Parts: sequence; C-alpha cells; structure tokens
Amino acid sequence: MGYLDALRNITIADIKVDLMRTAYDNDDALLNAFDPRVVIIWSAIFVVVPWFFYEPEPLFAMLVASLLLAYLSQTSVYLLALLIWGSLSNIGFIVILSSVVYWWQGGSGGLQSAVVDNSVALLPFTMKLTVISVVSLAAFSAMSPKKLAKGLLSLGVPRPFTFAIAYGYRMMPVLLEEYHDLVNSLRLRNKAPEHSGLLRWRYYLYLLKLAIKAFYPMTFNVAKRSRVTVEAMETKGFSHSLGNEASRELRLGDLEIRPRDVTFMLVSLLFVVVVAVYL
Amino acid sequence: MSTTTITVDDLTFRYPGSDDPVLYNANVEIDSGEFTAIVGGNGSGKTTLCKAFNGLIPHFFNGTFEGTVSVDDTVTTESDVSALSRTVGYVFQDFENQLVQPIVLDDVAFAPKNHGLEDYQARAMDALEAVGLADAADRFIWELSGGQQHLVALAGVLAMDPAFIIVDEPAAQLDPDNARKTYEQLRGIQRDTDVGVIVIEHHTEFIGDYCDRLVMVADGDVAWTEPVDVGLNRVEALLDADIHPPQVTQIARELPDGTLPNGRYPVTVEQAVDAFPAAASDARHRAKPDGSGSAECLIRVEDVTHGYPTLREGHKTVLDAFDLELYSGNRVALVGANGAGKSTLLRLLTGLESPDEGTVTVLGDDTNDTLPEELAEETVYIHQNPEEMFVEETVRDDVAYYLESREAPDADERVDDVIEFLDLEDIADRDGRLLSIGQQRRASLAIGLATDPTVVLLDEPTGSLDLQSRREVTRMLSRSVSRTETVVVATHDLQLVAEWADRVIVLGPDGILADETPQAVFQQPAILAQANLRPPQVVELSDRLGIDPPSLTTAALVERLSTGAVR
Repeated sequence: MGYLDALRNITIADIKVDLMRTAYDNDDALLNAFDPRVVIIWSAIFVVVPWFFYEPEPLFAMLVASLLLAYLSQTSVYLLALLIWGSLSNIGFIVILSSVVYWWQGGSGGLQSAVVDNSVALLPFTMKLTVISVVSLAAFSAMSPKKLAKGLLSLGVPRPFTFAIAYGYRMMPVLLEEYHDLVNSLRLRNKAPEHSGLLRWRYYLYLLKLAIKAFYPMTFNVAKRSRVTVEAMETKGFSHSLGNEASRELRLGDLEIRPRDVTFMLVSLLFVVVVAVYL
Repeated sequence: MSTTTITVDDLTFRYPGSDDPVLYNANVEIDSGEFTAIVGGNGSGKTTLCKAFNGLIPHFFNGTFEGTVSVDDTVTTESDVSALSRTVGYVFQDFENQLVQPIVLDDVAFAPKNHGLEDYQARAMDALEAVGLADAADRFIWELSGGQQHLVALAGVLAMDPAFIIVDEPAAQLDPDNARKTYEQLRGIQRDTDVGVIVIEHHTEFIGDYCDRLVMVADGDVAWTEPVDVGLNRVEALLDADIHPPQVTQIARELPDGTLPNGRYPVTVEQAVDAFPAAASDARHRAKPDGSGSAECLIRVEDVTHGYPTLREGHKTVLDAFDLELYSGNRVALVGANGAGKSTLLRLLTGLESPDEGTVTVLGDDTNDTLPEELAEETVYIHQNPEEMFVEETVRDDVAYYLESREAPDADERVDDVIEFLDLEDIADRDGRLLSIGQQRRASLAIGLATDPTVVLLDEPTGSLDLQSRREVTRMLSRSVSRTETVVVATHDLQLVAEWADRVIVLGPDGILADETPQAVFQQPAILAQANLRPPQVVELSDRLGIDPPSLTTAALVERLSTGAVR
C-alpha cells in the first residue's frame, strides 16, 4: 500500500506543477514569440487545413509537425497524453463497435480482418482530429494569458471576455489548491472501504466519489470569492474602462506585426504546400 | 500640506431585505492628516461606514440611504465608485480576491490603465517601491506569500495616488509579523506623503503603537472620536464592544500606581516602562525542562526528508533529516517563519502525505503503510482555512459527517453535545461557508472535536480571529487536553503560546532551532527574531522591567509587580 500512496502523492504534486508550467512558464515557448493576432489566425487556419487531405501520408507529416511544435511550445505532457488517449479510446470504441456489428451481421473475413479494415478506414479521421487538437493546444497553452487576452481584444472580442481569460489564469492555482484541500479534508472524515477488492477497485471508486463530491464546495467557495472581486473591480475602475478609448489604446499600444511573424506564417503555409504536392 | 476631509452627516443605511438600519444617524469627520483606527464590535456597522466613504454604499449595495457623505466637496451620491476610488482607495479584508491579474505589475497597473492614465507603468512601479516590493514586479501573484499579496493590494490602491487609504482588518488575515510590517508601511506612507490612512482594527496593540485617532462605532452610530491615548483608556467602553485594550493597559488597571504622570494608563510598552515600578529579580520560579519526561511516546518522526516540486526552483526540500518525538500529555506549539515546514509536518502526521525518506509513526502506525482515513480514527487535523472543512450544507451535517461515515450509534447525541459545548446552536443549521470567519473557525473546531480524537493537530487556529473566537479556541484547547492525549498547534500567535503551551518547538530553515518551555524560548530573543516572531507585550514589558524569568500572562505580571514593587 505504501508504494501506491507514495506514487499518488508524487503524481498529484507533479501534475499540479506541470499544469502550472503549461499555464505560466511561457518565456521559452516558440509560439509565444510571435504576435498574438498572428498565432490566433494561424491556429484558425490549421484547424481547417487537415480537412482538405484524405491520404494518411500528408496527415502523418502534419501530425509529426504539430507534435514537434507542441514540444517546442512546452505543452504539458499530461494534457497531451490525456488528449491522445481521448482520441484513441474514442476511435478504438468505434472500431470495436463497428467490427462487432459487421461480424455479427455475418460479414466476410471474420472479426479480425474487420478490425483491421475499420482501423485503416478510420486512421485519416483520427489523425485529423489529433492534429487539430494538438495544434490548438500548443497555440493556446504557449501564449501567456496577457498576450492571448491582448490578441483577442484587438481582434474585436469584447473586453469582459478577454478579462475573464486573465482572471481565469489568476484563479487557476487557487482552484487547484482549494480542490486538493477539499479532497484531503473529505478523506480525513470518510471511511475507506474495508475490503478494497480486486486491483483495489473499491478503493479507487471511493476516491473517485470523493473527487466528484469535492467539486460542489469548490464551486461554492469560488462563487463566494467572486463577490468581493466584483466589488474590487468596481473600485479599480473596470466598468469605467469599458467605453474608454484611451484605456483601450493603452492596452493594445505595443502590439506590432514584425518580419518574424510574417516569416512564421509563410513557412507554415509553404510546409502545407510541400506536403500537398509531394506526399 | 493640504489635507482632505471625509464628512459623514446624519448617515442612515439599511441593507435591502433587512428591517433594522446598520447605521443610524451617524456623524463623523476624518482628516487625511491622521492615521485613524475604526473599532467596534461585530456587526456594529464599521465596514458599512467605510464602504460609504468610496461610494460602494449606496452605489453598489442598493439599500435605503439617507444623509450625506462627502469627500471634500464631492458628495458621494452624486459621483460613482470608479471616480471616488481615485481619491479613496480600499484594501479589502480578503485582499486575495482583490488581485485580478496573474502578474504583480499588471495588477498594480490595472486601475491606472482602466482610467486611461498614460503613466500607468511609472505609477505602478512607484507604488511597488513604496511598499518595498519593486523586486517582485514580474512575479506571479500566486508565488507570493499572504503578507506580500496584501502589500500588492495596497500598492494597487496607491497607484491611483489617493487622498485616503482604507484598510479593512489587516491583522485579521495576516500573521502578527506581517501585520506589523504592513502597519510599518502604512505609517511610513502616512508620514511621508499626505495620504490619510484609515484602518478597521480589533487589535488594540497595533492601534496603540501606530495610530493617531480612534473612532468607536457602536450600534450603528459613531459613539465617540478621541486621540488614541485617550480612546484606549476608555477601557469599559472597549470591553463592552468585545475589544480588549492592550495588555499593558490591562496590567496598569490592576496595579495600584500604574498610571502615567498625566493620570492616564499607558497604551504602549514604551509608556508602560516609564509608568510601572521596577521589580526585584526573582529566581524561585525557574523554567522546568521540556515536556518530554517519562511519558509515553505517541508520535515519532525519524530521519524524515520531505519536499515539493516547484515551478521555478526545482524540488524544494522543506524538512531535511528531521527527527521529533511527541509524548502523551504534551501541549505542543509549533512556531517558525512561513515556509519553515510547520504545515508540512502536520500534514505528514495525518498521512495525507508520505515522507520522501524516513518514517513517521503515529500511535504505532507507520504512515507509509496506513491510509489517512485509518489514521483519522485517532487523529484529527483542523485546516488553517476553515472554509476547506465545510462540505455539507449545514454546520450540523458537517459536524456529523465523520460519525455518520463510520455509522457511530450515538452520532446525534454526540453532535448535539459538541454543538452545545461550542455555543453553535444559532448557526448549526446555517451553511458553514456563509458564516463569518470567526464563526467558521468555531464550527471547524466542532467538526474536529466530534471525532473524539487522541491526537489533535491544529494549523493556525488563531490566524484570523476576532477576540470571541480566540477565547473559544483557547477554551477548546484547554478542554480537549482532558479528553485527548496530545495537541499540536502550528501558530504565529505567541500570546496563545504563552497562555497555553508547555512545549515550544521553533522551526528554522535548517530544522529545529529550539525545543523548550515557553518561558525558556521567550528568554532567547535571538531565536525569536530568527523565526520572525515577536513576543507578546507582557513578555516584552517583563524584559524591559528586568523581570527574570519573564511573566507570560497579564495576571502573572500584575502579581509580580504588586508583590515585588520596590520603587
């Protein structure tokens, strides 16, 4: 039992730090070096581009490129793993379901070949989804909250929304801490199942229940905090800034598209052209 | 220096949905040339009064508002919160929620930017320099300690160059050392610039040391306004509002000749040293050695090394090759600077965390091999922030939670018993998360007591308390010792240590600095300073009067001074 608990402790602390790193430590991230408007438009383009390709080879090239970009942008490994696991398990489920149905209906070639055929058929689709997710994850986790908010604001997104992004980043560590504390507080007052069962499934089910139960108190506490926040925002002149042109200019003044932003966009497009022509 | 004046004229205010006004015909005048403290019992209307100064009342809280509040010539009802806040800044009691941007500099520049001021960067840097945080400009808010966050909130207010700063209960959410630092800053700002400072405060010792004028709010009205020396001498009126005068003032009242030449009681240690008779040295009451003795060892921490991964500094080791034994009957106070590992040590004892290296044994169970749920059968941990203890919709359900999860047969009875003992009947059916911080603290104690534990672990139980709740904590601590074997309290509150503990463990950056009786620890100012601690007034006064060993309570000092008077 000891090693399991030790493992769990380390993982929670490590995941916390990893998430924080994704959110806050953007200084060396590749995508953070560009103008936020360029990165936003760029990612909008690359969410669409994969849908124009149908062969596995160019899609595979794009997947590799997007993963490389995610690596250079210091995207959280946990988030990436979660995402890839999500798309794989989703597709896997479809493959199994369709194959079983096919085999049950008496299709030729048996179950095994049905699984292979269906997997191959779904491969491009899976890769498209993964490319899109990895690209958007890389773009949005690499930009610092300030940059992201600025970029969206200059593209015409309303200020209350862009403020919410910066505020969300401000609150995230507080939420993580609070959630962890609540789960711990629940553990100290609950009774773990006496017989944990095969692979300790009862114990993990019990932890899962606590993890869900901790959500409501967390939401409640956050709602309570925001009451003071709203008052404070009023004293800081937030509503005053909404219609104030001078304030908007101060906020966006230092945005500037430089040669490297243009280069980045051109190189990306060139890559797509090369892939389209040669693969 | 031109000053600004806040004038409150016949102010009556009633919150929507409430029958009685919070403020009724209140009148007061506050000048920005002074450091003003506003005191009053819970619910007396002092926060409401202060929120009327910057227009939050009535612009933000729509209630029935009569009378006028004006800042110089501006009448608050004719202006708005944004505009008024440029003159009257407000630092909220839960200041963390006032910080809305991820990075320190951005947060301080937030208001100037909102107002479209082009020199926002310079204003923000100046404000950060004024509070001594210029180095932290690029840090993330969450990387800062509570004390530093409070200063960031203060800087955010200063960046607008206001005529007044209102600070709501700085000592309530900060540990004493940080509260004192905040007061030093506030006094510096008040002296060096022409900014008036208004604090809402329960702790009269800070008022005595730092403020010029005392405004007493009682029953929705400003009862009186006096210079601090005079105001703190109105002992009866203060006690009626549940406000304790400074320890030195209390001692002076008990002494036959404890008054200053002008006939008043002293309100600071400095004044008291002049007023009180010197005492003869008395060696009969020597400190006894620490509580270890022959008692049974309940908790053993052996060669423990433990730390956390951090974002910027890699893996940070908090405890290094740490050893400790706690015995039955111990009343242990764990003190030390922030980050010395007090909370970490407590969490290791609960089994919520397993040590990276070494072993922790609680009542014979190795925490590496035992689930925290099982350790919690005999051990209770009361969180520093009581909010994290409330998971049900009423206090009663929360108190019953542990017993019900264990299907205790007499659960209802025991819950009633605990609720009655802590006088929680009035709030037992309310949601714990909506109570005031003091009530929350008492409710969290009830949650802990209901488990009938052998070992009680409390993290900062007096961290943010009004005086009534403080008394409850002390009362619970005294009572719980009769039921439990050992109590460990992590705290900054040396007054609590002096009154209650029999063993003090001072944690420093490299492990234990001292492990002795309170008296012995209080005789070593070097160690206290190293741990960012400040002895209570009574100990400081004993020291200044040459009393050795120092008295730890006001009663003990009164006795020493009345019997040993040699003047």
